[in-house]
Amino acid sequence: MAIRWSWASPRIALIPALTVTAVAFLGAICWTIWISFTRSRRFPDYAINLAEWTRQYERLFRDNAWETALKNVLILAIGSALAIVFGFILAAMIEREKRGEGFFRTLFLYPLAVSFIVTGIVWRWMFNPDLGIQNFLRGLGWESANFNWLADPQTAMYGIILASIWHGLGFYMALMLAGLKSINSEIWSAARLDGVSFWRLYIEIIIPMLKFTFLTCAILLSLGVVKTYDIVLAMTGGGPGTSTWTPAYFVINSYAARGNIGYASSAAVMMLLMTAALFLPLVLATAWQARRREAMAQ
Amino acid sequence: MTMTAQTASLATPVSKSLRRKRIRGSSIAVLVFLAMWAAFVSIPLYVVIVTSFKTMDQVALGQVFALPTEWTFEPWRKAWSEVCAGMTCEGVSHGFWVSMKILFPSLLISIGISSVTGYALALWKIRWAGTFLFILFLCAFVPFQIIMIPLVVLISSLGIFGTIWAVAIVHSVLAMPLLTLIFRNFYKDVPEELINAAIMDCGSFWRIFFEIILPMSANIMIVVLILMITTVWNDYLIGLVFGGVGTQPMTVILANTVITSFGEVQYNVDMAAALLTAIPPLIVYFAVGKFFVQGITAGAIKG
Amino acid sequence: MPEIEFNNIVKRFGRVTVLEDLNLQVDDGEFLVLLGPSGCGKTTLLNMLAGLQEVTGGSIVIGGRDVTDLDPKDRGLAMVFQSYALYPTKTVRGNLKFGLSVQKLDRAEIERRVAWAANLLQIDKLLDRKPAQLSGGQRQRVAIGRALVKNVDVFLFDEPLSNLDAKLRTEMRLEIKQLHQELEKTIVFVTHDQVEAMTMASRIAVMNGGVIQQIATPDEIYERPANLFVAQFIGSPAMNTLKATVERADGSVSAVHAPTGARIDLSAYSFSAAPKDGDAVIVGLRPEHFSIGCNGHADAGAYFSLPVRYTEKTGSDVTAFLDSGDGGLIAVRFDHKHHHVPKMGEMVEIHFPKDRFDIFDAASEKRI
Repeated sequence: MAIRWSWASPRIALIPALTVTAVAFLGAICWTIWISFTRSRRFPDYAINLAEWTRQYERLFRDNAWETALKNVLILAIGSALAIVFGFILAAMIEREKRGEGFFRTLFLYPLAVSFIVTGIVWRWMFNPDLGIQNFLRGLGWESANFNWLADPQTAMYGIILASIWHGLGFYMALMLAGLKSINSEIWSAARLDGVSFWRLYIEIIIPMLKFTFLTCAILLSLGVVKTYDIVLAMTGGGPGTSTWTPAYFVINSYAARGNIGYASSAAVMMLLMTAALFLPLVLATAWQARRREAMAQ
Repeated sequence: MTMTAQTASLATPVSKSLRRKRIRGSSIAVLVFLAMWAAFVSIPLYVVIVTSFKTMDQVALGQVFALPTEWTFEPWRKAWSEVCAGMTCEGVSHGFWVSMKILFPSLLISIGISSVTGYALALWKIRWAGTFLFILFLCAFVPFQIIMIPLVVLISSLGIFGTIWAVAIVHSVLAMPLLTLIFRNFYKDVPEELINAAIMDCGSFWRIFFEIILPMSANIMIVVLILMITTVWNDYLIGLVFGGVGTQPMTVILANTVITSFGEVQYNVDMAAALLTAIPPLIVYFAVGKFFVQGITAGAIKG
Repeated sequence: MPEIEFNNIVKRFGRVTVLEDLNLQVDDGEFLVLLGPSGCGKTTLLNMLAGLQEVTGGSIVIGGRDVTDLDPKDRGLAMVFQSYALYPTKTVRGNLKFGLSVQKLDRAEIERRVAWAANLLQIDKLLDRKPAQLSGGQRQRVAIGRALVKNVDVFLFDEPLSNLDAKLRTEMRLEIKQLHQELEKTIVFVTHDQVEAMTMASRIAVMNGGVIQQIATPDEIYERPANLFVAQFIGSPAMNTLKATVERADGSVSAVHAPTGARIDLSAYSFSAAPKDGDAVIVGLRPEHFSIGCNGHADAGAYFSLPVRYTEKTGSDVTAFLDSGDGGLIAVRFDHKHHHVPKMGEMVEIHFPKDRFDIFDAASEKRI
């Protein structure tokens, strides 16, 4: 029997992608979930003791460092959300004031091209108590200026948040700007003719029109926050103590420093669950958006 | 003809003075606010640049914003070729070449697989394409940590753990879902008739790809290239976990230099090293910024 | 007193001059249509009237008040946009009310106006829907309603019918005209569609290249186009134009069309400036004014016998394109009930009545 190449070729071409997906993603996820139920330490041990299969998770929930990591991820999410807020405000201003659009857009976006490691190192330098901003402000006469945030467990997360906002601001601004530009220009004209005030226009018309953009930004931000690792490492190395640990940091630490694969896997599975919880709304929102678009087209 | 005749007759001088463009108060407020944010965004870069040109004596004075009293390239030279990362003291230059060596195979493998996959899924009728795309969509958001340990096991069993190839392959694997979606979204806008005509003319999957589709893909290739170059270059974790001694990329060398350095801290050298690491993606950004924006938004908005 | 005055308007975008020293007056209660091809400056003119674009020079007066420096909201006008520009996140009611809520009217008055407009436009049943749930025609009504509730003296329409299909367009055309007759407000309506202009306008301003070519009633525009551009822009199929040379002999005036050798009798034409012997002119002949057949007409001013290149049938009408001998075509429109449809290549005899010519100077292209 002859092979129909027009049928077979595309399927053959898909083999690498299918293999990668099946092995490196689906297979690997299953592997991690499996291992999280075992007593594996430095090397994988595939036997599951049914009597105590939740052992790693029980330990995890008792672990103070994990609790700190969860708390930090929340603080980080709330704090970094400011990047969306300011990103929107900046986008709105750039869109309104056409002057210098290219300049401001280019400027606000460049930190995104810089790696988290470099970002962390740069901000660590800014926060340096003896040689950074604090010293500069004290030199100007503000004696009580305290920017030694990274040394204090209470404020170290805020330092990381500031650096994250610096890094991500332009990204959210770019997304918001794209959203604003997609709004029909006649809407703005109509509002001007109606004499609608600036605030009412944004609160009642523009922001509701951009709700899908806001949702996208929020979900991308949360997904990024869950994965936060590099910037913590570069700024505080998790410290002081474990005060700036994040779930991602926790996983790497359990694997690399403690050499406990089983424990690291259980934390990784928790990360997957968090991602899934954040991800579900995105999938639903996409489906909802598609349905709405269909309804509009009719 | 009509127009010239008419305008000629109307070319009487306009006596009314032309009004000037008004600049409103709100405009000024907006520009001031934007300028403040611009300062917030650019101050760290400024501080790092001036610090990297200062002597350690001036750095110790603690005037972060002051320009160097004496411009010196010494920190840059040290950062490039002398500074110590852990045990080895080769500067970040070694890391730079490793990052380059990682970059090219990563680009080749990831873009090769993703473009072909995106093309097959978008333009050839495969019944389960929708399902596969949905799975890829989910995979694109999977945190790296969840698949990291099994990948270590897998790469070790292939016997390439700790080599440049290990890092490049993991980069390609991780980028594959997202890039495939980007390519697929680009190719699905190719008119169906074009593909049907091509199938009638020659019919070969590969010939259509290489002779028709690939030459049409210049724009999306640039977008994807920029996305991949910045991702791979800026990555830390994959390089840390999968790179061995001597095959660690620049970011890892930089982090080791700055974070785990012993003895007297040379801030000016640290800053020069950080800048050296940041320069390649910044060059890409400032050279083709327009595509960069497209790249990151393509990465963000899918479906 | 004119309701709207444009005085010496200049508009430049950077170095590009779009409008130069333009003057236009719109009377109270008038339905003025700004008609012209795209890029002729008509939308710019409307936007400057609305205050959405600033003028580079000159002044705009509405109702005796200089509004040149006023914000759009203070000019006392309402506008209907091409894409309707309905607020997508608000219901129809919300859309109608939104502009009013700014004006600090009491609630009962707002409700009264919304109810009045909704009733007038028959959108009462749609008040709680979102724009996305409306058809094109319904959206159009809501957009008009949003302008109506503002109770202003001047309404601006920016190509509002261009997004509708042919049938709806005809309906809305009639409705807008009825609204105008009922409300007796001043309307400035921008379009590139000559049928819209001819059917709705009380006056038409034909624009081209940033210059107003002619302002007149639709009849005047059709019967006595001021120049060749207006003559060819109005009418479908477009007016035929023949280059001819004036011949004056024993008090009679005629023009000779060299390629066909036809002599065109201009004795019944009322010249505004009598041409000299040998002047080059352009003779305009509307395709619908020809009569076809071999019987000579007493009032015929021109006679041709030409071969048919091709014919187009549109329902009751036929347009035959005849070879004018110099590579051009002469379009002739007639009712096919009264004459058989000529075949390709067939010689056809056509006559043109002597009182229907339009004569333009060949150089200036202006009517003479």
